[in-house]
Amino acid sequence: MASLKDRIGVIKLNQKVAKDIYKMVLQFDDMPDDIKGGQFAHVKLNDKSHILRRPFCICDYDISAKTITLCYAVVGDGTKVLSSYEVGEKLQVMLPLGNGFTPDKNVKKVVLLGGGMGSAVLPAIPTSNPELEYYTYLGFANKEKVVLEEEMAKVSKQLTVATDDGSYGKKGFVTNILAEDMAKLKPDVVFCCGPEVMYKALKKALEPFDVPIIVSLEARMGCGIGACLVCNCKVKRAGEEETYVRVCVEGPVMKLSEVVL
Amino acid sequence: MSNLKVNIAGVEFKNPIITASGTFGFGREYDRFYNIEELGGICTKGLTIKPKLGNPPPRIAESYGGMLNSVGLQNPGVDHYLQKDDLYLAKRDVVVIANVAGSTLDDYIAIAEKINGSKSDMVELNISCPNVKEGGMAFGVLPQSVERVTSAVKKACPNKPIITKLSPNVACIADNAKAAEAGGADAISLINTLSGMAVNYKTRKPILFNNNGGMSGPCVKPVALKMVWDCYNAVKIPIIGLGGITSYTDVLEFMICGARAVQVGTYNFNNPYGARDIAKDLATYVEENNMDINDLVGTLILNK
Repeated sequence: MASLKDRIGVIKLNQKVAKDIYKMVLQFDDMPDDIKGGQFAHVKLNDKSHILRRPFCICDYDISAKTITLCYAVVGDGTKVLSSYEVGEKLQVMLPLGNGFTPDKNVKKVVLLGGGMGSAVLPAIPTSNPELEYYTYLGFANKEKVVLEEEMAKVSKQLTVATDDGSYGKKGFVTNILAEDMAKLKPDVVFCCGPEVMYKALKKALEPFDVPIIVSLEARMGCGIGACLVCNCKVKRAGEEETYVRVCVEGPVMKLSEVVL
Repeated sequence: MSNLKVNIAGVEFKNPIITASGTFGFGREYDRFYNIEELGGICTKGLTIKPKLGNPPPRIAESYGGMLNSVGLQNPGVDHYLQKDDLYLAKRDVVVIANVAGSTLDDYIAIAEKINGSKSDMVELNISCPNVKEGGMAFGVLPQSVERVTSAVKKACPNKPIITKLSPNVACIADNAKAAEAGGADAISLINTLSGMAVNYKTRKPILFNNNGGMSGPCVKPVALKMVWDCYNAVKIPIIGLGGITSYTDVLEFMICGARAVQVGTYNFNNPYGARDIAKDLATYVEENNMDINDLVGTLILNK
């Protein structure tokens, strides 16, 4: 078995980029060279009152600069503490963990679909697979929550941003907007990250199109490496009974058709 | 001459650090971070007679200085363990403790009979899991049932020393320690998690799907230390102490209160090298002080 390591990352940037949303850049002396878009980093906070690590998707990475980027929303006490850390502070980080998005050999045309903070999973996918063609759809609740537009514009052949209330970009749910474009796009695969409610809508909206949908799941985690069995999600695989799999090891990237929503 | 070895019911541990059940799988995952043979022992995930899916998620929530879990004993079942993990662990130079759980007395007996023929060194009897609806905890509350299940497992599994794991969610843990001893337990371990709840004020719902969970981590250490001391004064069999250990000084405190060995659980999640680091730090301390770690056991000096 490959060896795993806990690494020390030095904060190079920790900046507010939208309402309650931060971008953090961490630099590692021993930067791993095998990161795949969709994998995650398990970050330890520097105080013992927060005993659990926080799993964040690796938003993007740069092997030569030895950096990863995290994009996170302040939703609770832990992320509030994280947002207070200053440049130069060191964090213990386990990475890269879990499975990333791995396009099949015949895939050329990819739809990247992000819902809210789920968009943070997307930038690393083109970094891992620069040879593919990307058509990106980002959906947010409103203008204040829009993130990563610039980053995705650089790597996408086409970028559509939508807000639920129409305060920025197109108005409406981004899944519906994608569904309208599907017939002319004809992508080989859809890579998506967003809330569970979005996955339900997506499953329905793309039912008429014969396209594989691969999603990244979020879960409350303990160990992050498959030992504690707390981050489970229910799956139903062809010919098998419903069962739980570990989001941290068998995921976080999974086929939407197998996830029991 | 300094010494870090401890002996529990005839089983020698190279150091008193054991990883706690449910936090360390069957050792494979942490084996990718360090050689698990640096530990004194490994306690397996709780095993049941049949595979168990456990509770729906969320199964974990953080609390100040700790966490709650409600895994609900998800495990591949004892037969899977015997065919795979038992053999994997037997090749390693580390004491293996099989943690067993049941819903009925017959379950406990059936699983104990199977473990009796295994390669595991010891059995830890889980009668204190707060996360399953039936059995488990029910056996751990009243002293009579603690004695009954311990005695039944002891008979069904005569080849292995039995450690009865005690729940803190009881009227008097010392009475349950005595009951385990009367039932033939070779050792006791304590404490299992404290029953608790985490609530989301926005949704007005408990965070855990199971509503309740077991609390662990540094916040429970004072409770655990007192209970270890109470049990040390109640029984003659050795005690394995656990509850919120994150450093070698925590280990020293537990041993002073009467523990002969300790288990490290939640801390593994915070620091994947945690249990190994504690064992290393403890070795340095023992060498520097040229002491036998066993001389610490139960040396608490109470204030007048």
